[in-house]
Amino acid sequence: MAIIKAEKTPDRPAPLSERSLIGWMHKNLFSSMFNSVLTLITLYVIYITVKSLWIWGIGDAVWVAETRRECFNISLDGACWAGVIAWLDNIFYGRYPREELWRVNLGAVLLVIWMIPLWLPRVKAKVFIGLSTVALYPFLAGYLFSGGDKGIFMQIMITAAITCLIANTIHSIIGVLTGESLPAFLMTRLGQNNAPDATQRNILIAITVSLLAIIFLWQMTWSVINVPWTKWGGLFLTLVISGVGIASALPGGIILALGRRSKLPVIRVLSTSFIEVFRSVPLITVLFMATTMFPLFMPEGFVLNKLVQVIIAVCLFNACYMAETVRAGLQAIPKGQFEGAHTIGLGYWGAMGLIIMPQALKHMIPNIVGSFIGLLKDTTLVSIIGLFDILGMLRSISKDVPWLGLHKEPLVFGAMLFFVLCFAMSKYSRHLETKLSTGHKN
Amino acid sequence: MTETTDQLASAASSEVIISLNMVNKWYGDFHVLKDIDLTVHKGERIVVCGPSGSGKSTLIRCINHLEEHQAGDIVVDGITLDKNLKHIDHIRTEVGMVFQSFNLFPHLTILENLMLGPVWVRKMPKAEALATAMKYLERVKIPEQASKYPGQLSGGQQQRVAIARSLCMNPKIMLFDEPTSALDPEMIKEVLDVMVELADTGMTMIVVTHEMGFAKTIADRVIFMDEGDIVEENEPNQFFDNPQHERTKLFLSQIL
Repeated sequence: MAIIKAEKTPDRPAPLSERSLIGWMHKNLFSSMFNSVLTLITLYVIYITVKSLWIWGIGDAVWVAETRRECFNISLDGACWAGVIAWLDNIFYGRYPREELWRVNLGAVLLVIWMIPLWLPRVKAKVFIGLSTVALYPFLAGYLFSGGDKGIFMQIMITAAITCLIANTIHSIIGVLTGESLPAFLMTRLGQNNAPDATQRNILIAITVSLLAIIFLWQMTWSVINVPWTKWGGLFLTLVISGVGIASALPGGIILALGRRSKLPVIRVLSTSFIEVFRSVPLITVLFMATTMFPLFMPEGFVLNKLVQVIIAVCLFNACYMAETVRAGLQAIPKGQFEGAHTIGLGYWGAMGLIIMPQALKHMIPNIVGSFIGLLKDTTLVSIIGLFDILGMLRSISKDVPWLGLHKEPLVFGAMLFFVLCFAMSKYSRHLETKLSTGHKN
Repeated sequence: MTETTDQLASAASSEVIISLNMVNKWYGDFHVLKDIDLTVHKGERIVVCGPSGSGKSTLIRCINHLEEHQAGDIVVDGITLDKNLKHIDHIRTEVGMVFQSFNLFPHLTILENLMLGPVWVRKMPKAEALATAMKYLERVKIPEQASKYPGQLSGGQQQRVAIARSLCMNPKIMLFDEPTSALDPEMIKEVLDVMVELADTGMTMIVVTHEMGFAKTIADRVIFMDEGDIVEENEPNQFFDNPQHERTKLFLSQIL
């Protein structure tokens, strides 16, 4: 018996639950008696929470006042944001001299300029830009922030950093406009694009050296006054410590992880014990050790400032955590990848750098960014050993005479700041994951 | 052939390209390779077969030093394999290898997979490496997949890419370690076709495989291994029609 369909079945509209809000609500929120009750209870809880938060934080809040007493006079149970607003500069910059604040801001702007090309798809040589950020920016920023006399070493590093920044920026602009790299663009402009490689290289070296020389002479003409680290504070200090920590944790972690997997027993044992010792001690202990014990082991007259000690401690501590993350990533890579790399003639470092590490790091992005977020939040511990980072600043508002006892508002503000920073990092990591995962479906 | 290889290769090896002399290997206490003697001449096609655990994969993995042998000498292209990392690196650039599990690099496109060796190891200019890569992709008949990632290809295509990747290094010897064992039946043929074509170009090949039809077509010699010994070694017609050793007879009766 044959079945033959005479006419094509016409398309009919989907049921209500698939296409209208009411349908959706019926399906997802009120599908049964029990679910309806749950939905209503949840809505009520959300309502009372948001309502009281709204009344406290916005409805009854006081934005303009001279003292906390004035806040109370205007509204008894609203938030006194006036105190936070009055302290905004302190929260962001600590006790950094107000007339020198431009240096901190300039440092931040330079970092943004330096790193923007990493997000521009047409710009080439991103690895170089990324590496130069980690390797050179800290020196430029370090001098901008602390100022004072430039030693010859700092002069060289500042020159290199500025040159690199200029080259990066021009390279990126050319990249966005034409899709070319800076060297290729220069060669075309000079009519040398068909010259032999050696000639092209020599021209590039000549240009770089003359640029370096000009900038070296230029940077000798200016300097900025010294701002001792004790004046640094607030969000600025938090970002300096965690920024250096983040930038050094990954390279440090990679080195330690490779060391721990090394075939040479001495290196393996050293890396393993280093990692285990730092990981088994709380960060706060490491910080105390760094600031109180470390100077005892140093030769007489060798003085490191407390900030440097703290930064070193944070870096080492996080490098050890990162090492275990990286090691986990390395272990997820099948042995066949090494063998595949070896059979096309790559040695250990070639295989590691081109094949194994890129895959391992890609697998580990969520964990790596997780550590970075943890690091950012952990740096608030430095307020315990007497550095006025953002937490220290927020807490000292309540000790300021006009705002005596103002605890809640600054901490809520701090929480919001941290949320913004951490959420941005987390979002970015998700974005990176999806971006890098193309074709990685094995 | 590059200049360095000319300098390194001694005159005596112009005929013999691989020689194994009393090679022994143990995994812990387990004796995998026992007194292996094997001589391979330039352009020879050798098929190695045997039951699993007989040491055939280990044998060819010793030739490019993915496994280390503990006793005996292995001389490849005039260079003795020893602890010297330079020798190992050099031999690996001259010996291509194709694995059962492909071992393509999943984070790189097909083209990047092929260009990696020539650019980073041979220091070839990018344009030239690109041309080479496309040439070999055409030879394995999948130039249209060049910009895809390995994960997007079928097993047969991946294995052909793996063959092309080895060929891009312009090797003198190609080792195949059960190249079709992980493939669906209809994909086996496309890979074997590529290998037969390669054999026709005069490449020195050592192939570990259970594809007896393939062995009959291209092999100059078939080697049968069992429990770490080379039990029988003969030209293919003799080997298949008139096996001498009891173990060989049993094996052939099971797989044919």
